[in-house]
Amino acid sequence: MYMYLPIALTSVNYLVVMGLGLGVGLLSGLFGVGGGFLMTPLLMMIGIPPTIAAATDANQIVAASASGTISHWRLGNVDFKMGLYLLIGGFAGGAAGVQVIKILRASGGADFLIKMTYVVMLGLVGSFMFVESLNAMHKNKKAPAATAPTAAPKQKKGGFFAALPMQTYFEKSGVTHSALVPLFLGTFVGVLAAIMGVGGGFLMVPVMIYMLRMPMHVVVGTSLFQILFTCIEVTYLQAYSNHTVDFMLALLLLIGSVFGAQIGTVLGRKLHGDQLKILLSIIVLAVTVKIILELVLEPSILLSYAGGH
Amino acid sequence: MKRTLMNSPRYLAVAAIVLLGLAILPVPAAQALTCSVTPDNIPITFTYHGAQLSITGQSASTDDLVVTITSEPADTALKYKEKVGGLVWMKKGSLEFKDAPRVYLLHSTADLDRILGPADRNQYLLGYDALRGHIRIEDSAGNPADGKWFDEYLKFKKEENVYNVQEGTVVRTHGEAGNTYKVDVAWPYQAPPGIYTVEVLAARDGNVVDRASTHFEVKSTGMVAALSKMAFDQAGLYGIMAVVIALLAGLAVGAIFKKGGGSH
Repeated sequence: MYMYLPIALTSVNYLVVMGLGLGVGLLSGLFGVGGGFLMTPLLMMIGIPPTIAAATDANQIVAASASGTISHWRLGNVDFKMGLYLLIGGFAGGAAGVQVIKILRASGGADFLIKMTYVVMLGLVGSFMFVESLNAMHKNKKAPAATAPTAAPKQKKGGFFAALPMQTYFEKSGVTHSALVPLFLGTFVGVLAAIMGVGGGFLMVPVMIYMLRMPMHVVVGTSLFQILFTCIEVTYLQAYSNHTVDFMLALLLLIGSVFGAQIGTVLGRKLHGDQLKILLSIIVLAVTVKIILELVLEPSILLSYAGGH
Repeated sequence: MKRTLMNSPRYLAVAAIVLLGLAILPVPAAQALTCSVTPDNIPITFTYHGAQLSITGQSASTDDLVVTITSEPADTALKYKEKVGGLVWMKKGSLEFKDAPRVYLLHSTADLDRILGPADRNQYLLGYDALRGHIRIEDSAGNPADGKWFDEYLKFKKEENVYNVQEGTVVRTHGEAGNTYKVDVAWPYQAPPGIYTVEVLAARDGNVVDRASTHFEVKSTGMVAALSKMAFDQAGLYGIMAVVIALLAGLAVGAIFKKGGGSH
């Protein structure tokens, strides 16, 4: 039942760890998020030091997102072109974010500002998604025939986005954008993710849905594709420079998560885009509430090892 | 004069014998204190989940005993949370806990403050109050921190199972083998690999009168040792291995599901 972890230097119940992997893998196959925001604190709860929890989770997400990407790709749900632009932006944003954080930290009190900004953003995005998908579901019920022209109002955004150079057609997503748009949005999420120390899936997915106007199922596949590469980079860098990847822990997690990702993908096929959106918005709101509670309630223990969020 | 001179050596001899007798007489009670631990080597394998230690030895029948298991004192930096703006709890900075053992387990025959005076408890670092006086807590600027952080430190360490004080758990037996003592200690798996010191102190009339000590080692072996060595010595290769295996596992399971998924 127990396995000793050579880097975390602690012993864990492997059934519990595999179960965690299964649950978070399911979320990732379903919604295209890495799930680090849930996994890292859960691992810390079972006694894994924060830095090792975060780095090892990235290693596990490599497996889950590879598993999810391949099955979404077979379903035609991965927009490689869009993913690539977002990825380039994300890499640049990540590097910039690390610099921003240094400047902010030096000015003091920045942690508070960053956390509050993040909470407000998550809360807004979650609420907006919830209301929007609820409305969409109502509309679909009233007029099931009128599903085809959903693309029409999307063209209204036109204006600024349409005036940008380098307009490109993204075939899989069926949208036309300037290549600068995904590059910029990727950078933006990358900066935030680096500052918050998380993968950014919870922000990237809504950005793809509402700002890039991609269909929900393509969003999930493309997001997973993008996360896969981000997490490969993070895993390698953490292992190389910080020695914080516990391979055995990652192995236990990924045994659960690769299957979870498959189940999530299959489940996702059975749900409508709006149903997926509303479920995701509930999770985003739950995460928001969790962060607020963590901030407001007095922690039972005021000391911790360095690292984590 | 002669007689007294003649008598005096005899008298001295008798006096010496009496004195010697007095000195020897308590010896059966004041057995030399000994201490041994089994096992003295704890290997860490993948199935390791802590260990059961047995600490035994001989002691004087009337002495009270205190057994400690500690690691070398070290400086530990921990992040601390404080309320910011009267509303939210945030990590504010880090505190340095200086000269603090990473592991501190204590067992005794009776309540510490009954068997030892405060001076000896402080001198030999016995009990949490003694540790409170010994561990220095500094903020990142090197200023001494508030005493409440020692309480938080204790809470943190107790949660990890690496600080523990259990009074009245050392059992003494008086039999043909002499006066022996024994205490069983549940060794926490959270304690990192390293060499640990077991020390037993005999207390009489509120003072420490004898000490004995021994060591044991907790050490990773086999694959556990190989993996942790690789993570540090060949970090690049280790990172590539971690990525490749995760990728292969993900793709393989994706491929298996393709077959299964295609059929239904």
